[in-house]
Amino acid sequence: MPSDVLTQARRLRLVDLAAQLNNVAITPAEQRKSGACNVWGNSFSAAQMPDQPTITVAGIEFRTWHLRDAEPDNIRCAGQLIELPAGHYDWIHLIATGERRVEDELCLHFADHSADFEAVRVSDFWAAPAMFGETPALRSEAMHYPFHVQFGLAATAWHQRVPVTRRAALTGLRLPDNPALHVFALSLQPSPER
Amino acid sequence: MTVTSAPAQPQLDEAQLGTAQRELAQASRRPSTWYRDAVSCLHATIATVLAQHGHDPLEVLGTGWSFYHRPDDLPFEEFYWPVPDEDNLGHCLAPHHQLDISWHACSAPDRALSELAELLRQGLLPIAAVDNYHLPFRPAYHDVHAAHLIVVYGVDEYRDLVLVADPAPPGFNGPLANEAFLAATSSSNPADEQDAFFSETEIAGRFLVVRPDARLSALSPAEFGKALQANLDRFHDPAGAQQWSGLAGLRRYLDAIERAATIGDCQQVRRIYPFGWGVQAAAAVHGELLRTRGGQWRVPELIEAGRAVERVAHLWTGIRVSAAHNWHQPDQLGDSFARRGHQLLAAYHRALELTAGAIDKLS
Repeated sequence: MPSDVLTQARRLRLVDLAAQLNNVAITPAEQRKSGACNVWGNSFSAAQMPDQPTITVAGIEFRTWHLRDAEPDNIRCAGQLIELPAGHYDWIHLIATGERRVEDELCLHFADHSADFEAVRVSDFWAAPAMFGETPALRSEAMHYPFHVQFGLAATAWHQRVPVTRRAALTGLRLPDNPALHVFALSLQPSPER
Repeated sequence: MTVTSAPAQPQLDEAQLGTAQRELAQASRRPSTWYRDAVSCLHATIATVLAQHGHDPLEVLGTGWSFYHRPDDLPFEEFYWPVPDEDNLGHCLAPHHQLDISWHACSAPDRALSELAELLRQGLLPIAAVDNYHLPFRPAYHDVHAAHLIVVYGVDEYRDLVLVADPAPPGFNGPLANEAFLAATSSSNPADEQDAFFSETEIAGRFLVVRPDARLSALSPAEFGKALQANLDRFHDPAGAQQWSGLAGLRRYLDAIERAATIGDCQQVRRIYPFGWGVQAAAAVHGELLRTRGGQWRVPELIEAGRAVERVAHLWTGIRVSAAHNWHQPDQLGDSFARRGHQLLAAYHRALELTAGAIDKLS
């Protein structure tokens, strides 16, 4: 691991999403009927996912859940409020994907009871390129269908980021009410110490 | 485009061939497929044919932008597009270019290949409606019945093959056995519980013929500006509400789907996902064209307008996907449609305002 990753990793806050996971986007081949990344029941191939829960994408470390089994592995957004470890952050890093291209808003809540809406933009998971300048984070070269495994059709979850512009302690995050948006992991990048 | 044509090949064994006339007609070169993740097979196949004719698909399909709805249509095919009575699909998709696109149906199943071959001899690439269930290169093969479009660029009855191009992922461009092709084009496309949106519509040997005017040429910045102004005029036409077109028609549509959800009208809500695909695709293609031309012509205002149009496309995702997941129980969607509708209308207004500003820079 490059030293800049180690430095970054020490400072990042990896958010625990375990209690909020509500959707299965990744399945083992024998349990592919559990997949629900879109209305057709498509899912990523678990066999092609990392076998460690902590993964690093573009120098950012993330905690993930159930990448290799058929348990809920992501939050399908329905306006959930996520409590965050309070702190001053510059960036919210996400591993997320869209059932088609998604543009929506997160609401950032702060300790002083202020709140800001920020855009979140995430590309389609189904054989699509990054439309919003994201980096691929999880990629399956096979697409699971309820009744078969389709080779040659890639599924991708993206590393996207959202800025925290307010210089105040961030305490919570309201996800959009948008079933097209799936969030697998969330890490907070602290502001440089003043 | 030229085609090769060989109705008879004396060097082949006549006994092996049989006595019936066999067709051999194919395009002089294999088409390059065109695809974007936001479009359906309608845009992707027509764009592929336009590119084969030497035209810029993004310009031809992306210059026009409007909203139009036909409330009585059943949009349960991936390639659904609302066309006013007496109008032409090509004119709807490309109102600023001379493009004729018309639906046809084979006169009889055993005439399908010869009728497609005849079009190929005329230098045209027919686009065939198919049921994916019968096509080995589609993910739905022997799994799901679903209507789709593919480009036909060769008919070879000496080898019992049809040459086809499918721009949609995973993509295919090559020979297909006649038997599979004819099964796909003559399928009844029966109801399939795995596909609530694109099954249960008979394929019936239908095909599209795209006839672009040979004089289609790239629009100058000034011509492009005029085309954009015509789009704006149509969007702002106050008569649109009655015809379900323009901003007034969009407002009426958004009110209608909110009402349909509130009263639990499942079948109306079920129509949103397939109808919205074309609307979303059109905005994505128009936005990309504005951004691209803005970059080429160094008009930052056009890039910004294009991005705002793309945002419209992306906001359609929330409406379409929430409808797709909840059409069985739509009563909870009323509030969500109201909120999304306001957001979408605001995005349309912003895109149109930025477009108006960009037009001033194009004259």
